Amino acid sequence: MDQPLQKRSTGRLMILGFLSPTILLLLFMVAYPIISLVYYSFHNFSAMRPADGMSWAGLGNYEYLLTDSAIWQRFVFTGKFVFICVTMQMILGIFVGYQLQKTFRGRDFLFTALMLPMMLSPVVAGFLWRYMLNSEWGVVNFLLSGIGLPKIEWLSQATPALWAAAVVDTWMWTPFIALLATAAFRGIPETIYEAAEVDGASPAYVFFRVTLPMSAPVLFIALILRLIDCFKQYDLFVAFTGGGPGSSTETVSFAVAKTAFSYFYTGEASALAVILLCIIMGLAMILVRHLSQMGER
Amino acid sequence: MSGSHTGSAAITRWVMIALLILYTIYNLGPILWLVISSLKSRADLFSMPPKLVFTPDFSGYQSVFGVGAAKDSAASIGVFRSLVTSVLVSTIGTSVAVLLGTLAGYVCSRFDFRGKGDFMFFVLSTRMLPPVAVLVFYHMMFAQLGLADTRIGLILIAVFINVGLATWIMKGFFDGVPREVEQIAIVNGYSRLYAFRKLVLPMVKGGIAATAGFCFIFSWNEYAFASILTTTKAQTLPVKISTASGATGIEWTQICAAGVVLIVPVLIFFWLIRKHLLMGMTFGVLGRK
Repeated sequence: MDQPLQKRSTGRLMILGFLSPTILLLLFMVAYPIISLVYYSFHNFSAMRPADGMSWAGLGNYEYLLTDSAIWQRFVFTGKFVFICVTMQMILGIFVGYQLQKTFRGRDFLFTALMLPMMLSPVVAGFLWRYMLNSEWGVVNFLLSGIGLPKIEWLSQATPALWAAAVVDTWMWTPFIALLATAAFRGIPETIYEAAEVDGASPAYVFFRVTLPMSAPVLFIALILRLIDCFKQYDLFVAFTGGGPGSSTETVSFAVAKTAFSYFYTGEASALAVILLCIIMGLAMILVRHLSQMGER
Repeated sequence: MSGSHTGSAAITRWVMIALLILYTIYNLGPILWLVISSLKSRADLFSMPPKLVFTPDFSGYQSVFGVGAAKDSAASIGVFRSLVTSVLVSTIGTSVAVLLGTLAGYVCSRFDFRGKGDFMFFVLSTRMLPPVAVLVFYHMMFAQLGLADTRIGLILIAVFINVGLATWIMKGFFDGVPREVEQIAIVNGYSRLYAFRKLVLPMVKGGIAATAGFCFIFSWNEYAFASILTTTKAQTLPVKISTASGATGIEWTQICAAGVVLIVPVLIFFWLIRKHLLMGMTFGVLGRK
């Protein structure tokens, strides 16, 4: 480890030179905005009328938000959306991942093809599904009527719209869970399965008592990443429901955008953004701790 | 006894296969439906029951590219311009992000320095960050800096959203190159920089391509930032699609065709990165090779 002094200083130069562009960019694009956001959140301020200036509001913005029933509705809607999406995606994703860990003819091609939805733009996904779910001429209602079900007004009622949005998000992101699940299942040593077979364990028993627990660390990563992404979901709703009918499908992110860019209540929007950031950060912390524990093992 | 056991196992197996087929239809059906619909005329698009056999009609594509019957029509010109913007922003943004990510990833792979863990977490946080949260501030900042509704502004965004991903993935690829490569070069009197440029970089060529593939797809699809930071001149294709509602309601022929145009480059890059999906989609946390 005894390197000549000159070498060590070139190393230091290299660290500085290679890292500083990225650090500067991130300070400018992440740290500076977030610090400003926290600052704004304690002020009455509108980006529309910068001439009016800022006045100190203390915790006023937060107090207003946390007592506003409309904002609570956004949180409740986001919570429902997250719960439905993540549950459906985990169950479907684990199922698909389990089926695709097996080796069969055409498996690699099918696997790659099934990964496609998550690579698409949320705007394409939103409009495509809006087109397919149209109550009059959409193909989904046509297929449902084929098996004798009545027409569903997917996007003009609050509850069907929630489920429709969950179906779209699940369509896009089940492949992600399947991707991670397959990797986890394939990582389990064959000898463990052989031992279970010798013991005469049933396939279901092996799945629930061996496969799932052994892949839990990776599935946990998938779960947290999906919780984070669902919670901050914004693009999909813009293209898919536009927040409607009424404001029934507005997520917290959607509410931040609306408060900031339609009403220009910048202070209030900042406070809501700070709350959103805290929730996401909390989830991210859980993920980071989990990752470092996995690394130690 | 054992006969009935294999019997129920066979039933389970067929049920599983049936469920997998159903899932495949749910998964791939919509994409197929989009491609079919993009070739329909306006009348066929809304016919009930939906037509599977029809005369192909390219009016949607014509209005996306501003050619044929749709030449010089007001709606089409904007779409073509947004396509150019999307291509420019994604390619330049990807190149810069991959460059920065390669440099930062190399240093993180090879050196131990104070604050490295914090730096890596800081970089990872860009993956978690809700776009609207920083947008509240960007909206004002971009206006003040004259970046609002410009392609330069969007390139900055494209670099920003991808640099973290690029850093983490490239670190993974550099980790796969043995340290002896540089040690031998240095012993032989070459500089570290020379070893990096001439020896290590060529060894991670595939990794750089994969990283670029991911960055391209993500900036190509990016919507939240572009929709709020652009108004007319610098709209990208996804933003243009979402605002493509004419006097008669949403222009579905145009949207379906534009949707296919948006998907084609994704398909190409997706094929290139398919072996690295796990790594790319988990920020390089899983699936390192």
